[in-house]
Amino acid sequence: MFPTLDPILHSELRLAVMSILAGADEADFTYLKKQTGATSGNLSVQIDKLTSAGYITVEKGFRGKMPRTTCRITPAGQEAFQQYVEALKEYLSAGK
Amino acid sequence: MEQNKEMTASESLQLISESFNRSRKDILRNSAKYFILWGVLLTATSLAIYLLWHFTGKPQWNFLWFAMPVIGNPLAALIGKGHSAVPQNEVSKMLGGVWSVFGVFSITLSIIAVFLLPMRITLMIVILLGLAECISGVLLKNWPIIIAGFLLGIGGAVFALLVRSEAQLLIFTLGGILLLLTGFIMKIQYR
Repeated sequence: MFPTLDPILHSELRLAVMSILAGADEADFTYLKKQTGATSGNLSVQIDKLTSAGYITVEKGFRGKMPRTTCRITPAGQEAFQQYVEALKEYLSAGK
Repeated sequence: MEQNKEMTASESLQLISESFNRSRKDILRNSAKYFILWGVLLTATSLAIYLLWHFTGKPQWNFLWFAMPVIGNPLAALIGKGHSAVPQNEVSKMLGGVWSVFGVFSITLSIIAVFLLPMRITLMIVILLGLAECISGVLLKNWPIIIAGFLLGIGGAVFALLVRSEAQLLIFTLGGILLLLTGFIMKIQYR
């Protein structure tokens, strides 16, 4: 029996955001946008979904005079991300 | 990038790997600019002090060393700013920590040597410089940087013991060039 893939993470853009945040302390919205090549609107929607799931936190502030939105992965997000990767590996090993 | 694209397991793993590695490279490539900045400052300061000392015969020019952090720290803060700020990861934080510790040790020892207790400051700082460079190489898993740091620390210590004139400052010029090269190696390694 295969484990079910987390539907929150099984989305191209959300997964890319989570992968970046899993390897960094935190990341700016502009950095995530640049790295993923997503539009601001699309990225905002996906970040909201990850926040609602409790996988990331979003902090709004300023860097100098520029508004800054900072995203961080939560312990629940790290756990879900690890489980998702493990599930993917099971799918792939079963397919061999 | 689409949010609703149906992905296979291998496509998902590939996406994770690509996003993770791209971000990691970006972070470490960003750290390279600090090596280049401090490399330029160290090379320029050591050469300037050596030449001024050599041609005037006055060792007081060594006070110019204290200008280096005064110029370097605001410049480092300036290049760290940006709208799309590159984040930090464990390696970049440890690199920052190692060089901050080096800076604190060097400045504190220099103040003690100048104002309280004369000591062989070139010998001490070149060992610290080589050690910090060596640790940077270990963190970056880069053998040329590890070996260069080791040779700078040990070779520099021997040079500082053998050469007692202002020429011993040239070891810091070599150290500055080494920092510059480290920055360029990082830029290439994480392109």
